[in-house]
Formats: sequence, structure tokens, C-alpha cells
Amino acid sequence: MDTVDRQSPLSTLLQISPISLILGFFLVLPIGTILIVSFWDYNDFSFFPDFVWTNYSDALGSNVTYKTYLNTLWYAGLTWFFTFIIGFTVAYFLAFHIHTTRWQIVLFLICTIPFWTSNIIRMISWIPFLGRNGVFNTMLQSIGLIDEPLEFLLFSDFSIVLAFVHLYALFMVVPIFNSMMRIDRSFIEAAIDGGANGWQTLTNVVIPLCKPGIAIGSIFVVTLVMGDYITVRLMGGGQRASVGVMMWNEISLLLYPAAAAHAVVLLAVVLIMVSLMMRVVDLKKEL
Amino acid sequence: MKNSTTLTSLSRRDLLKRGSAVALGAAVGSQAITGFPTIWAQNIKNVTLRQFGTGVSNINEIAKKAKEDLGITLEMTALNTDATAQRVVTQPKSFDIADIEYFTLKKVWPSGNMQPMDISKLKYFDKIVGIFKDGRLTPSSKIAQGTAPHTVSFTDGPNSKSFSKSMTNWYTMVPTIYNADTLGIRPDLIGRPINSWTELLNPEFKGKASILNIASIGIMDAAMVCEAMGEVQYGDKGNMTKEEIDKTMAIFTEAKKAGQFRAFWQTFDESVNLMASGEVVIQSMWSPAITKVRSMGLPCIYQPLKEGYRSWGGGLGLSRNLSGLELDAAYEYINWYLSGWVGGLLMRQGYYSAAPETSKLHMSADEWGFWFEGKAAQNDIMDPFGNKLEPKGAKRDGGSFEERMGRVECWNSVMDENRHMVRKWNEFIAA
Amino acid sequence: MMHKKRPASFYWLAAFFGLFVMFLYGPISAIVILSFQGPNGGLTFPMNGFSIHWFFALFGEQLVGDFETSFLRSLQLGLVVMALTVVISLVTGLAFRKKFFGSNLLFYTTVASLIVPSILVSLGIGLIFNIMGWEVSWTTSGLGAHLTWTLPFGFLIMIAVFNRFDKSYEEAARDLGASSWQTIRHVVLPIIGPSLIGVALFGFTLSYDEFARTLMTSGVKNTLPLEIFGMTTNVTTPTLYALGTLTTFFSLFMILTAMGVLFYLRRRQESHGSDAGKGV
Repeated sequence: MDTVDRQSPLSTLLQISPISLILGFFLVLPIGTILIVSFWDYNDFSFFPDFVWTNYSDALGSNVTYKTYLNTLWYAGLTWFFTFIIGFTVAYFLAFHIHTTRWQIVLFLICTIPFWTSNIIRMISWIPFLGRNGVFNTMLQSIGLIDEPLEFLLFSDFSIVLAFVHLYALFMVVPIFNSMMRIDRSFIEAAIDGGANGWQTLTNVVIPLCKPGIAIGSIFVVTLVMGDYITVRLMGGGQRASVGVMMWNEISLLLYPAAAAHAVVLLAVVLIMVSLMMRVVDLKKEL
Repeated sequence: MKNSTTLTSLSRRDLLKRGSAVALGAAVGSQAITGFPTIWAQNIKNVTLRQFGTGVSNINEIAKKAKEDLGITLEMTALNTDATAQRVVTQPKSFDIADIEYFTLKKVWPSGNMQPMDISKLKYFDKIVGIFKDGRLTPSSKIAQGTAPHTVSFTDGPNSKSFSKSMTNWYTMVPTIYNADTLGIRPDLIGRPINSWTELLNPEFKGKASILNIASIGIMDAAMVCEAMGEVQYGDKGNMTKEEIDKTMAIFTEAKKAGQFRAFWQTFDESVNLMASGEVVIQSMWSPAITKVRSMGLPCIYQPLKEGYRSWGGGLGLSRNLSGLELDAAYEYINWYLSGWVGGLLMRQGYYSAAPETSKLHMSADEWGFWFEGKAAQNDIMDPFGNKLEPKGAKRDGGSFEERMGRVECWNSVMDENRHMVRKWNEFIAA
Repeated sequence: MMHKKRPASFYWLAAFFGLFVMFLYGPISAIVILSFQGPNGGLTFPMNGFSIHWFFALFGEQLVGDFETSFLRSLQLGLVVMALTVVISLVTGLAFRKKFFGSNLLFYTTVASLIVPSILVSLGIGLIFNIMGWEVSWTTSGLGAHLTWTLPFGFLIMIAVFNRFDKSYEEAARDLGASSWQTIRHVVLPIIGPSLIGVALFGFTLSYDEFARTLMTSGVKNTLPLEIFGMTTNVTTPTLYALGTLTTFFSLFMILTAMGVLFYLRRRQESHGSDAGKGV
């Protein structure tokens, strides 16, 4: 970024003004508004300027809030774990075992086709698959593996995490694959020549060099899960809670200031998590 | 405008079968705009009214028919129950007509975003049943607990934001649709008679029960159950104290933690899917949803219970920003709505019309007998869209209109302790 | 294709990859099957008859809701978002080729736009419009909300592109007396063209499928994802599955066509001995 360009400061200003204005008005200002509204008071049908801490004391004084946060972190952790395992393995296969760009592209596209179908449709498609009389239970019963249908497959933590993994696995594959493609193959040759076995090469060379990709993928997956509302709502059968669901319940009952207080807490939690993950990656270098 | 499809052709054939009663009704319908200067009738054709409501009554058929009869264009948006309240309060300029429930009305009326209707302009006011006037179906019937429609139906003047205790000339909302609800069951999967609300928490149905997740409605179902179990004695179910709310929710939270519930539902169709797929065998359910499950060829019963019914009602309200020609058109539309055709459409799906007399003109004698009088069907009973609902000889679960609406124990409700109730309800959902 | 004997790990990994693909496609197969039910079919197994009734129903009038107008809305919105994302990402990328005051702040704000949970963006914009008494609408607040989601992607792609950009071409053009506009028009744009197409595709797809940021910002009129969500709670027919089946096959067809064209062009180039298109 140290080019000796003949750009005047004025043209730079012109170039960055659109994005600055849009993000200023639709991102920075809304977050500021949430912060302000979280101190307002409300009744059944309206909310009004005030300075009260009740929204925070309601939110942070209730055991249910902590349970809900723990639950959401649990979903995020599980989803992260499975998407990481899947993402890393798939990326490794594509980067180190497929030697032609053409085949890499073909296999990639095979993975992306489902992503062109609406997220919501992809999500609800699990319901007939996992239900009590669904495809999976019927199959297991017909081959005699089980006598009674498995209840935990649907409207459970299992189905929620499954849907998350299904939706977000690719967010992990792409950045890790990108990191792997940038690894100088001579490092790996050198490690093998130096007598390292496959496993050692993987843990001492490949994984450390993939850290940035893993971090970027993780940031994506974790923030998407933490802020999710609809997956938990649909796949949990409406009886599982996550922070997003809790917020949305408040929004739909017009308790905006209460929802805003939850939003502020959620934002703080997410930013802390992201800043921890950012420590292993210099985004600007990674690009 | 799009070309109509199989849907209409089916219902048209359906209409033809109905013969003379329909012809009579159509004649009434076509009389809708008479007694007005022709210029006005011409102008009204250019009016567009934006209506939103729940999927229950926001049926595209109604918009089509209104266009035919009145020339008014209706833009309909279907939302879930909570979202309707949100829309009235937060986007008052985005609608002309709100199709909402009475407990929602109680919440949003104080916002001042709706305007009351002048009863002298309502052609069919005298045809509206007593429930929406003084709360009594018959002079001798008792008034149910909860947010009974008549308690939020009247206001003191065109600009009032409060409700009047007695009947006045200002109507907050014109009632259109209502019903008595109870538990729906899958008899084939239960295999024994069910006769009390307590069965919802019976451990026998562990992991196979469901309740609806709309606080103002769910809390009433929960109260029916707790009262039937003898666990809680309520002073007034429709207006609980904090302690009563806490006790009720504690019982349900315990049941939830024990794995009693398979899922919670929020809309008509979610309840249908849960029941049809066998995920759930017993749940609080709306009568037409049960009918829908049956039309898929699955056994499903709307089970009258000894403790009585929980009831709900909805109507059409006007936005504060309606005036002039559009306001006239809205009155015209509401009068048309009560004139019978829509009532017939709703009744033939298993709801009740607020002016049953007028809808009788748009139903065959057999249909009227089946849906309203609780008589056995002489022929197959079809829904307005041409699907077979009931075979010949069937009787409506729960019997006649008087038997069902006369046994209403409570209405969906917004209580004085609403804020506390909502918090507790959310905690129950998150538990 | 076959360079040397494959190690055993290749087969294990290939099997894993195969399983992953099955996992991706599994539920979609359930949808496809269910979308061919008879007129009384529901959303779950067991199957109820067999017909293509629901594909016709998709194009007809729904009992509740309306796919067609919401689809057209999403299409228009997607195209506008796409155009804006391409242009704004490009000019921002150009600006970032040198350090300027506040560049770090802007960079991290843009990244934050990706990281902030979508529901907060929705809530915040909804609150502002509510307090100011403005009407939320998919053409204003909805558009803004979508841009907070697509711009960061486009911007990061452009930064990556310019990081790898060989500046000697530009210098050569300038030495030959080209103005800075001419340089961009005739030298820079042709080189980064493919990446811009990528940004455009990204912008359109992200907007077309955006749900959470639209939830409270689209106002009275629903975009397609919101309409579909409304349908999941208000419709009991397999119409939705028919839609899913159609979109899946449509994208499959589009991708296969694109692949075919690509292979054809490659082959032609190879037979003509050109060196273009290698090592993109």
C-alpha cells in the first residue's frame, strides 16, 4: 500500500466517501441508537427517552439470561468444532490431493450448488428428513437397527447444530483452502526430507501455516451462530433458546429497550470473542 | 392482476352446486354499491386499501371478490400474531386496515394509531352477535374471563384512546371471525378417550405434546390446565396476579424440563405440520387446523373438554390516517365484509362469522346445518377451495354454535401484569 | 491427472469428501421427493400421492402470500445492490492503494460490518427509522441494510486484488502519456475485470438470500426470503419444496452451463496456442 500514486487527497476523499457514508448511516449510527435506546423505558405499546438501568438489571439479573448465553456459546462451540474438522479435511483434500485447477474448481462447484438454494428452504428440508416418521428413522427401522424412532434427531440441540454445520461448513472450507494454497510446497518437501512423518508434517508445518485461514473461518462461523435467530427457532421447534431468539421474542412483543439491552450485551460478547481470534491473524497481510 | 388458477375454478364449481341460495347471495352482493351517487361509485374503483393480518383470514380469495363486487383493490399481507401488534404500533402509515385479534387490540389501541368507527355507518351492526356487544351470547349466558371482545369494543369518541365500559356509538373494531378452541388430538395414536385439559401435561404423552408460543394465548391454555389439575385456584384467569402467573409458569417449566413438549408452535400451519407428521399427538389447537389435518386423510379430533373452551376473536380496525374517499371506501369494504360472502367463506372452513345470519345466504342448507347447527352432514362437506373435509354423515366436533360458544370459559387476554407475564413466558420458552 | 501412485490417505480423504457431499445434498433430496406429492400432500413424510401439481401451484396464486412479486422485489434489490457493491468496492479499493488519514479506522469499520450480528443491524436501523418517524421500506432501509453486508465482502476482495496487482503496467501506460482515467479505463479495469465479476456475483447472491438484516428493514413489502419465512409458518403445502427443487436444479443448470463454456474456451485457446487465461 505504499504506491507513489498521483492521487490528490481530494480524489481519495471522493473515493472513500460513499462507503463511509453508507457504513456511517447504516452501521455506526444504528449501533449507537441501540446503545441509547437500551437506557430508555417502555410500556405495552411504546418506548420513550429516559435514563434507566432496569433493562440491564432485568437482563443481567435473570438466571435465564446466563443460561441462554451458555446455551448459545455451546451451539457456537459445537458448530465451530464440527465445521473446523470438516472444513480442514475437505480443504486439505482439495489443496493437496487434487492436482489440477480444473478438478479443484469442479469439486468446489459441487459443494456450492446447495448454497444457491434459499437458506430457509435448506433448513426446513431437514425436518422431513429427521422427523419421527422421517426418511432417516424409516430407513433405520427398515434395516432393523432400531425398533423405536429416534426422538433426539429433531427439535433438539442435535438438529440445531446439524443445521448450523450444514449451513456454514463452506465458510470454513474457503479460507482454509486459501491458506493452504499459499503454503510453499518446498516447506513440506523439506519437512519430509528431514524425516518427519505425515502427522508431524501436518501438525508442525501445515496447521501453523493455516492459522490465519482457520481464524477467518472461525470468526465467520462463530459470529453467524451467535447472532442467529431463525435456525434455532425452526430447528429447535420453538422450545430451545439462544440469544437471538430471546432478543427476537422481545422485539416481537414490542419491548424494544429490553431487546436493545440484550443487543448491547451480545455485541460486547461477540467483539471479545472476535478480538481473541483476531490475535492470530493480521487481516491486512492475509488478503 | 394474475389469471386465476385451479383454485377459483374449483370454488366456482363448488358455488354452482350450491344453487339457489348462492344466486340469492350474489344478488345481495351486487347490491353493495347502490344508494350512492354514480360518481362516487366510479371513484371508489381507484381506491387501494392496504390490509394486514394473520394468515387465517388474509386470504387472497377475499381480495379478488372485493375487487369484483366493489372495485376496491386490496393489498394483503400475512403476518404472525405478534407481528400484527408490531405493525400497528411501529408503522402506522403502512396500513389502512388492520385485521387483528381482540387481545392485540387491547395492547395497541392506546397508541392512538387506529380510529374508531361510527356505528351509525355500519349497515349490519344489528346482525352482529351479542358476544361483541354486551358479551352475552344469550341473555342468560355468563360472561367469560379474559379479554372478552365487548370489553375492548367501545370507545367514547372519535379521538379516544381508552375503552368504554358500556355500549357507545364508537366501535374500536368490527368483529369478523372468532372461534372456541380446545385440545386437538390424534385418536389413532392415543387410543383412549380424552376429556380434560389436564391431559396436556399427562406424562403418558411425554415428548408428544405441544402448546402454542404466543404469550397472551399460551398463558390461558396453561391456566386452563393448571386449574383443571387443581394446582392453582385463580381469582380471575383473565387477569392473574404475579403469584398466579409465577405458579402457572413454574408448573409448565417443570413439565418442559421433564421433556413433556415436542415443540412449540406459533402459527396455524405449524400446528398442522406437527399433528400431521405424528410428531405431536395432543396439543392446543384451532378448529380449522384440525379440519386441515383431516383433509390430509389423517384422523384428528377437536376434543370438547369438561372444563370448557378458550376462545379468540378478531376483527377489522381502521388506521388513524384514513380519511375522505379512502375512509368511505373502508366503510364500504367493511359493510361488504359483513354482508355474507366472506362470512360464508370463513364458516365453511370451520370459523364463525360475526354476523352468522348473513353468511347463511352463502351456504347450502346442508353446510349451515353441519357447521352452525351441529347436524349430521347429508353430503360430503367441502371447504371453499374444493377439498373434501368431512364425509357424509359426519357431525362437527363439539356440536352446534350455541353448544360451543356457550361454553367459553375464557378469552385470550392481556392482563394488568402483562409485562411480568411476558417476562415469565419468555423465561419458560428459554428454560 | 494421474502423476504418481496415490497414497492410501488419498482414498480416505476422498471418501470423507464424498460423505460431505452426501451430507450437503441429503436433505435436498428429501425436498425433491416431497415436492412431487399429490394435491393433498403436506410438508412431511409419509408421502401423499404423486403428481407435479405443486410445480403448477407455484406459478399460480397462493392461498396466502405471493411468490412472484416478492421474487421480483428481491431480483431488483439484488441487481441494485450488485451494481452499487461493484462500483463502491472498486473506488474504495483504488483509494486504499495508498495510506491516507483514517484508512485503518475505515478498514476495521468495514470488517466490523461483517462481524456485528445481523439482527443488531436490523434492530438498529429499525429503531432509527422508528424514532425519526420515517417509513421503513425495502428500497431505502432495506437497501442500506443489504449494503452493510455486501460491501465488506466486495471491499476485502478488491483489497486482495490490488495487493497482487503488478503496478508496472500502470507505470508503462503513464510513461506513454496516458491520463490517470485512461490508465484505469484501459489498463487497470481489463486486468481486474474477472474479480469484479466475482464481486458482482457475491453482491447479488448475498443480497438475494439475505434474511436477518432485512427482517426489520423491509417494511410492508416482503423480499423473497421473508416471504418464504412467512410461508414456513403460514403454509402447509409442498409449494415451498417445489420452489426449493426448482432453484436447486436451476443453479445446477447454470453452473454446468458456465463450466461447459469455460471448458470450451480453454480447449479453443489450447488449440490456438495462446497463453492467456493461464494462472489466473
